[in-house]
Amino acid sequence: MTQQYEVNFFKPHSEHAKANKRVIIILAVIWAVAVFGFQALLLVLNKPTPEKSYTTFQSVWPQVVEDEAATLEMKQNFARSLLSVIGKNAVVKAPHKVVLSEALSWTVLSMQPKDSVLIFQEKPRQEAFDIAISSIGLENSGFDKLMANQIPFSIVKVEGTEISPECKEAIPAIMERYLVHNRNALTDTKFIGFPFHYWYTAQFLLIMFVVLCLIYAVITDRMNKKYDFVEEE
Amino acid sequence: MNRLIKVIYAFLFLTICTGTLFAQDATKLEGELKLGPALILISILILFVLVGVFNRAKDTSTYWAAGRKISPVGAGMAIASNWMSAASFLGMAAIMYGSGYHGLSYVVGWTGGYVLLLILMAGQIRRYGKYTAADFIGDRYYSKGLRVAGACLAIFISFTYCVGQFAGIGLMFKWILGIDKTVAILIGAAVVLTYTLISGMLGVTKNMQIQYVIIILSFILPLFILAHKFGYFAFLPQVSYGAVVSDIVNGIAPGKGITALGHDFAHLPAPEYAMPWDPATGQTSFQWFAMCFSLMIGTAGLPHVIQRFYVVPRARDARWSVVWGLLFICILYWSAPVYSAFGKILSSDPNIGPLSKDAIVVYTAQLGNLYPLIVGLLAAGAVSAAFSTVSGLLLAGASAFSHDLYYKVINPKATDKTRMLTARVGTIIMAAGVAIVALANLGLIAQLVAVAFSLAGCTIFPLFILGIWWSGSNRAGAWGGLIAGSSVALIALVYFIAGKNGTVLPAHEFINYYLNAWYFALFGAPLAIITNIVVSLLSKNKTPVEIKKFLAEQVHNYKVS
Repeated sequence: MTQQYEVNFFKPHSEHAKANKRVIIILAVIWAVAVFGFQALLLVLNKPTPEKSYTTFQSVWPQVVEDEAATLEMKQNFARSLLSVIGKNAVVKAPHKVVLSEALSWTVLSMQPKDSVLIFQEKPRQEAFDIAISSIGLENSGFDKLMANQIPFSIVKVEGTEISPECKEAIPAIMERYLVHNRNALTDTKFIGFPFHYWYTAQFLLIMFVVLCLIYAVITDRMNKKYDFVEEE
Repeated sequence: MNRLIKVIYAFLFLTICTGTLFAQDATKLEGELKLGPALILISILILFVLVGVFNRAKDTSTYWAAGRKISPVGAGMAIASNWMSAASFLGMAAIMYGSGYHGLSYVVGWTGGYVLLLILMAGQIRRYGKYTAADFIGDRYYSKGLRVAGACLAIFISFTYCVGQFAGIGLMFKWILGIDKTVAILIGAAVVLTYTLISGMLGVTKNMQIQYVIIILSFILPLFILAHKFGYFAFLPQVSYGAVVSDIVNGIAPGKGITALGHDFAHLPAPEYAMPWDPATGQTSFQWFAMCFSLMIGTAGLPHVIQRFYVVPRARDARWSVVWGLLFICILYWSAPVYSAFGKILSSDPNIGPLSKDAIVVYTAQLGNLYPLIVGLLAAGAVSAAFSTVSGLLLAGASAFSHDLYYKVINPKATDKTRMLTARVGTIIMAAGVAIVALANLGLIAQLVAVAFSLAGCTIFPLFILGIWWSGSNRAGAWGGLIAGSSVALIALVYFIAGKNGTVLPAHEFINYYLNAWYFALFGAPLAIITNIVVSLLSKNKTPVEIKKFLAEQVHNYKVS
């Protein structure tokens, strides 16, 4: 007798409970696979994909870091790649910003003729910003304009004329952190304007949740009728 | 009812008149009294109180359970307004603004949990038929001690949840009044406490439906204008902002528009905004899974959410109210990422400097040069969202205190009057405590709220899920599971607080990563469930037959002959 009062989700006693168990398991599996399965798929497919400026950085960095070998163009490209990271603003951590600013200021200084480096070795002012913008070759339109906007916030006073060893060591890892992204076919496919994975997670999953709930509510209503399950006291 | 509608129209009219009169103040980002938004806010709060007055609860049962006479759509709106807090309104956009794809774990976590709640619990909880979460725990596990523990947990969870809300209220009061954040939190706390004590005497559910409409309108309206202004308009901003996300990834050159401060509507390429688990955000895929999972099971264990099912007339209505509630909630959640996307571009100029992430929703509207009245309405919507949740939480905490602790345990002979008094005193103490903790500035709003979810997921969720679906789970098992879950929570919180104070405890990097205060339920909840099962199987005192019988016949409707 008492055995019949046992309630266990996995050992349903009545036809209704069996049907209910089946529905719950099916919906829960769909739910779990759609949410976590998709993310796992992203995880498997993801490939570290560099931004264009990271490729540029990699091609010029060995020469730039050994000052003599670098051409003016290499230094300009290096400065641009630094600015493309600094331009990420809020995402860039404060200590990283310090390193990036130092590297940028040093690069700009190293592009100047010997007699005009002084302006970068004192407290930065407008003149220094203008020189920096013209020596990097930034124009007043397109992405160049956005990079130029960053200059007053990232040119700092340079001590000496050499890049500091700490900065030299820190730069490659910082550049990699901000310029290499996890991408795959799903992130690069567009769907109604979205990167597909973003649309899937931010919109489709929510739609699916509402639909799953709707299905459950409808099925339960029907099931209760079919098995003559009276809910109310 | 007619009288009510007239009052609502009168107030909306008054709001718009006064707001327009002083609207120009809303253009400064920070640091000034904004009279227009302040008046809109005051009018909306008075409106809520008036709606309460006209829908006054006639007796105690009406008061607690809204008379159980509410339609599933209405109950759905109540669920949604109870649910949509400062964390949904301000916090989610903030997380996505700062951490990109990681922020979507909050969006998915806070909605996906409702599926679990519905298919596993909603109807059954209603059929069990109690008034509070502690009532269920104490009754199902036939233990006064567990009832006390359940009540204390409900209070603690509501408390933690409130801390995030107070941070949001403080932020908005700071923005509206142009004052220091500490003073803003204190003023905000005083206003919300007064509001709760006044509205606490009135019927709540009707109020919640009107709150929902105001919150959702104030949140969505600015998006249509933003999308239109910057050339992304196509039917619905929630759909057309896809192009904004793609543009952030590939970069937008100047020329698309100008922000309110005269900067270009432009952005350098920023794939870190949308790409999954970008190293630049410092968040890993493990953290995404952990966060999402914790928020989901936390949703199914929050006392003030579970208690909503006791106010609907029938189990069928409990189910349908979840369907409607989730749809209403999703409308907000489909929209929040739009704010962070526009905010990302509008605030990209370095001249703007770092902004408070939690206020990014309001800054986005300001920088997008929206009509100041609309910005004011948005800020007022944020405060309403926080207020509706806080008053619900303070009420849940106070009812746990006066009903479950004081009346059922300490003083069963207490009169109605003393119980009311203890509820009031409880509300005041709790609000004061929350304000003090909120001043400590412990984290982003959404993160603070996530702590409450993990707590609920580790403690209350296992008790409900096993309590409903397995009659073998008994008192000893419940204690075992509760102690296991609480211990995990305790470890996570001790490490979190120590970390905030700069103290380094052993293995703190390991613990802070795997048992982080935002998502410790990932391990805590399974551990609590397993402990509950193992201890239940080992213990000699099985669940009494009366309880098994009740569970089988009332909740699962087994026909035992």
